[in-house]
Parts: sequence; structure tokens; C-alpha cells
Amino acid sequence: MIQAPFLSGKADDTAKEVKYHYAFFLPAADHSFFSKVKEGAIDAGKSLDCAITFHSIDSDPVSFEMAHLSGFDGLGLYLYDKDDKKLKILGDILNEGIPVVQIENEVLQGSNSFFIGTNNFNVGKAIGQIAKTTDPESMKMVLVYSKKNPGLKSDDNLIEMGIKTVLGGSLVELRTEETSLNPLDAEMLAYKLLKTSPSIDIIVLTDPNDTLVTVQAIIDMNLVGMVKIIGFGEHETIKAYIDKGVILGSIVRNPYRIGYSTVLALKEISINGYTSAYVDTGITVITGRNP
Amino acid sequence: MKNSLRSRLFVYFLISMVIIIFSMGFAFINSLNLQHIADRRFKDEQFLQELQFNLDDIQEPLNTYLTSYSSSSLATLLFIIETLNEVVPNQRPVTSSNSDLIKREIYFLIDSYLIKLNEVIEQKRGRKVQQYINSYSDLNVLYNYISSKINDASLLGFRIQLAEYRRFLELFRKMQLYGILQILLATAFAFSILMRTLNNIANPMYQLSLMAAKLSKGNFDIPDIHFNSVTEVNQVAEAFNDMKLNIRHYVDELHKQKEIEQQVLTEKYRNLEMEQLLKRMELYTMQAQMNPHFLFNTINTGVQLAIMEDADRTAEYMENLAALFRYNIREKQFFVSLRHELEGLKSYYNILKIRFPKTLKLILNVQDDIVDNFTCPSMIIQPLVENSVLHAFKKKEGLGTITVSVSYIDPVLLISVRDDGSGIAKDTVRELLTPHTHDYKLNSRMMGLENVIQRCYFFYPDQKDVIDIKSSQAIGTEIQIRIHTEVKHV
Repeated sequence: MIQAPFLSGKADDTAKEVKYHYAFFLPAADHSFFSKVKEGAIDAGKSLDCAITFHSIDSDPVSFEMAHLSGFDGLGLYLYDKDDKKLKILGDILNEGIPVVQIENEVLQGSNSFFIGTNNFNVGKAIGQIAKTTDPESMKMVLVYSKKNPGLKSDDNLIEMGIKTVLGGSLVELRTEETSLNPLDAEMLAYKLLKTSPSIDIIVLTDPNDTLVTVQAIIDMNLVGMVKIIGFGEHETIKAYIDKGVILGSIVRNPYRIGYSTVLALKEISINGYTSAYVDTGITVITGRNP
Repeated sequence: MKNSLRSRLFVYFLISMVIIIFSMGFAFINSLNLQHIADRRFKDEQFLQELQFNLDDIQEPLNTYLTSYSSSSLATLLFIIETLNEVVPNQRPVTSSNSDLIKREIYFLIDSYLIKLNEVIEQKRGRKVQQYINSYSDLNVLYNYISSKINDASLLGFRIQLAEYRRFLELFRKMQLYGILQILLATAFAFSILMRTLNNIANPMYQLSLMAAKLSKGNFDIPDIHFNSVTEVNQVAEAFNDMKLNIRHYVDELHKQKEIEQQVLTEKYRNLEMEQLLKRMELYTMQAQMNPHFLFNTINTGVQLAIMEDADRTAEYMENLAALFRYNIREKQFFVSLRHELEGLKSYYNILKIRFPKTLKLILNVQDDIVDNFTCPSMIIQPLVENSVLHAFKKKEGLGTITVSVSYIDPVLLISVRDDGSGIAKDTVRELLTPHTHDYKLNSRMMGLENVIQRCYFFYPDQKDVIDIKSSQAIGTEIQIRIHTEVKHV
């Protein structure tokens, strides 16, 4: 085909041929965490010459059901809401011999299944370390999970275990709550908690949006300093609140590295047939001392 | 001939054609790209539709087969399965294109669908009712999923092609802009070339017309003109310069000829004047000859003498008279030797002595050694003597003396005729010494003295003192002729 010089830019028919096609099945919610995961995966795909496609595990469950028939060379799976059907599908996929990297939550183990994500126990320990800086004697803490960041909540209660490990007997009460996908759900929860349980010392959030909304509620109720906040994420506003002492600290995961490491692991499996069965992408703690 | 008008026009034509071909080629390539985009989209869409139609075509015979066990339906199913196996490509490269990836998924899904379809058929054949019912259900789910994937692929392809088409349109608009710019540039280029060519031709022509106008007014001193134009114009300029040079040459020649003719005419005029002068001098000379009264009186005297005396004196008188006549009649030359002039004078003296033996004393003082060395105008001494005889002694009683002296005082030959008569009035002397102009009209009353004076002025034009008259009342008159022997006469 003759092509004019001005038309020599990117065109679909100039797509580069690569060797592997990996599919990511992620929650439909478009939060920054998953955006960063996708960004890391895309960059890894470009660097490692792999084709990456993303599918919704929530709004398009059939895709997940048909994944073992679609010719994928590997899957990156963020399965937070494990039900029997999804477990069965995952089992079918694993039975087909398709390598699967489970992100953040390892719901099913298999010879071709691998885990990449944050060690939630370490997350809990980090939260405990931040809470410990308040020098508590009898601390009452509320841990707020969020469906917007579902990977942190597991059946093993690893975060709670980590918190208790650090705080020990000074933690007299640890309640858990969960917010929905509604971004304003946390505000309602904060008002409810502060009114019904005024003795709460620390509220721990596990989602950046929930963190911001809860802090705003505490400010509105003029309870700054009376109720401590441990947030989640590295939003600029969160950092500003940490600088002002409104938030004790924030737990930051590395979703970009998660996405990148997932593709890297899948390619290792495709080439070598194996990879490290467990990859901890680590966390970062932001406090007033290390802005 | 590289610089010729024809070559230039040919080159400009070629350049213009190249620009036009380039522009049209660009537009042609863009239109091909547009066709390619549309064609590829149609091909992809047709292919996806073909897959969808084949999958759709499976549903009815599958239902028929499962419900009625129809062999024809089975044959149809097997045919479609075979068709699909042929249609679906075996090579499924993984690319970075989402469109390719989704099509690749479809191919794998169709593979799975066909496998499951074969399983359903086998289960039907084996009458495994529950199994083929479940498989049929799974098959429907897979069919719907494939259909949705095909729609997704079609939609994605359409979006990609739309984006590409939009990008192409943007580029095409840019190309149109570039095309317009190109046309403008080409037009400007062609116009500049045209104007340059026109200037190359028109300016020299204008200069040539100015030069021609100057030439037509007779100005041939304008400098040569040279152009750096096309060969034809340069040649015209060179020819023009040559023409100007030749015309100037011819005009110069004409001027020279005219000057020569003028000189010839002047010379002719001078010659005519000379001829007139010569004729006038001849007339003077003729007039200087003895007038008929004198001859008549003289001959009468000779006759009386011949009657009263013996024939000796008469013979002498007549001899002198004859000598004088001979001299007068014979000498037609303008210049004669001094000796010859003096011999004539002596004859005249002898005659006068016979005529006026008691009243006229004639003295002749001549240096004998110079008479053969010099010449003088003929008949210049005798008229002076005759003038004295006729006019000097009219009022005088007694003896009158006329002395003729000829001497040489280097380089002047001095001839003096002196009388002791009554003299000449000053006004008369002034009038006599005034040179006559050419248009001076001669008359019969012209006297011998005046004749001699004017002839002296004529023969010696550069010698203003050639003749002088010194005269005093009651003392006499001396007429001096000074001939500078080193100055050539006319």
C-alpha cells in the first residue's frame, strides 16, 4: 500500500506482533489503585513485548467464565469476592493449565497459580505502629474495610492480626466496618460511629476516598485531635492532612508495581514454566515525620 | 542555447508539470489511503459478519437435529462446521492491537464452540440426554458470548477505523491546506518565473526602445547596451549595437563628405573670386595701356615732325613709339623683369623728351646690377610717370622734373617716381591709398595712378606698405613702391 509521508503515523495495521497475550480480570470500580495496576501492567507489556487486555470481573462475569476458552496465555486475577461460581471458573482455568497470578488475594491454590500483592499482616503491623505513636493505654479502634479496595479484607483477618500483634493489650477494642462502592458511604459511617460510639480513639480507613470523607466529617464535627485517623493512600490532600496533624499516618501500597510484577511473573511462567510462588510488593507508611 | 527563450520556457514548463504531478500524486496517494481504510474496515466487517452468519446458521439445524435427529440437519451442521474451520485462520499472531486481540479471542472461542458442538452431536448420537442438554445450554452461552465478542470486535474495529478515519481526515485537511499552499507557492513560483522572464524580455526591449528614440533624434554617442537576458534578446541588443555603430559610421562619412563638398564649394567660390580678380586686373592692365588720345597726339606729333624736319628724328621718335607700343601690346604677363619694365619706361622717356623738350626734365636713376635680379608687376612705372606728366605740371610754369629711381635695400626693391609739380591733396592721397574691395565697380574714369596702386595691393596683399604717396603742395609728389623680394606675390 502506498502511503503518503504525512500518514506514516500510528495506525492499527502497524501493530507490533508479540508472543504472549495476558488478560487481567479486575473489579469494575475505576479507583486509582486499579488504574495504577493497569498502568503498571501496560508498561510491563510494552517493555516485555506482551499484549495485555483488561476485563471486568464484576460487570462482565461471562468473560471470566469464558477465559479458559479465549486463548489467553495467562491471567492476572483480582478476585476479592469469592463465590462458588468464580471459584469453579478459576478451577476450570487452572485445570486448563493456564497460569494465573492472583493479585492481593489468593483464593485458590494450584500448581499454576501464583500470588502477587501486599502482605496484609504487614499492613496490620504498620497500622499498629502508627497507632502506637499515640501512646495509648486503652485504645478503641475501628477498622473500616471498603469494597472499593477489597483486597485488604480476607478470611484470615491478617490486618487485624498484625494490629493486635503490635498493640497487644493496649488495644481494648477493635471493630471492623465496611463501606460500599458509594464514595459517600464512608461519611455516613463516620457520623454513625462518632455519634453511637463516642469513645472511639482511632479510625483506620483502607481506601483513600474513605479517608478523605471521614476526615472531613471529623473536622465538621469539631473532633480533630479527639478522634485519630489512620488513612490509606498517598493523595496530596491526605499528605496535607498528615502535615497538619489531622491524620496520624497513611498506608500506601504500590499498585503500579503490582501490575508490572504480575506481567513479569506471567511472562516468566510462559517462558520458564515457573516463577516465585509469592511476591510481596510491599507497603510505604507516610507519617508526619517522613512526608 | 541553454539561455534561449525556447529552452527557458521548456524548463519552466517541465518544472510546472513536475509540481502539478507532485500535487496530483499527493492527492492520489491520499485518496488511495482513504480507500484502503474504508476497504479494510469493510473487509474486517464482512469477515466478522461471515463468522456471525455461520454461527447463526448453526442454530437452526442444531435445534432441528437435537429435536428431530434430522440427518439433513446434521449434514448442514457438519458443512457449516467445516466451513467455519476453513474460514477461521489457523495463524493467530498476538499483536499489541486490541482489535487483533479480540479477533484472536473470537477464533479461540469459535474453536471451543465447534469442539463443544461436536461433543453435543456425539452426545446426541449416544443419546446422553442430560449431557447434551447441559452442553447445549453451555453452547448457547458460548454462542451468545461469541456473538457479543463479534459485536465488540466490530464496534472496536469501527471505533479504531473511525479514529483512523478522523486522523486521516485531519491529515487530509492538512494535506488540503498543504495542497492549497503548494498551489499558491507553485502559482507564486510560476508568476515570479513569468515576471522574471517578462522582465528579462520587456526591460531590454524598453531600453532598446529608448535607445532607438535617441538614435532617431540623431544622438549616436549613447553607450553600447548589453543585457543578461535570453539569447534572442541578447542577439537583438548586439545587432542593435552594430546597427548604431554602422549608422554612426555612415553619418560620420556623410558629414565628412559634406565638409569636403563644402570645402570644394568654398574653393570654387574662391577660384571664382580669383578669376573675377584676375579679370579685373586684366581690365586694369588693359586700362593701363595708353589711351587713344595720347596715341593720337603722339602720332600727330610724329606726323608734324616728319613734315618739318628730316626723317632722322622722326625715325627715332617713331622708333621709340613703336618700341613702347610693342611693349604695351606684347606684355600680357602680370610680372616682368625689372629690366624689361625699365626698357619700356626708357622708350616712354624718349617720346616725352621729344614731346616736351623744354618743359620736362626726365631723370632715371637705376642700379644696373639689380635690373636682371628682380621682377615687378608690368606697367607700374610708366603709368606713374604718365600721371605726373598729365597732372603735376598743369599749374606750373617752366621746367618740370620727373625722377624715377630704382634701388635695392635688402630685402626691399624700392621704386620711386618723384615730380616737383603741384602735389596731390591729402584727401585725394587717402582715397588713392585705400584698397578697393572686390565689389568695387570699375569705371572708365579710373586713372593710371589708381590702377597701379590697386594692382600693387592685389599682388602684395600681405604688404600694407607696398605703395606710398608723399606729396606736398608746391613741392611735388613722390610715389614709392616697396617690393619685399623675400615675400612671394600672388
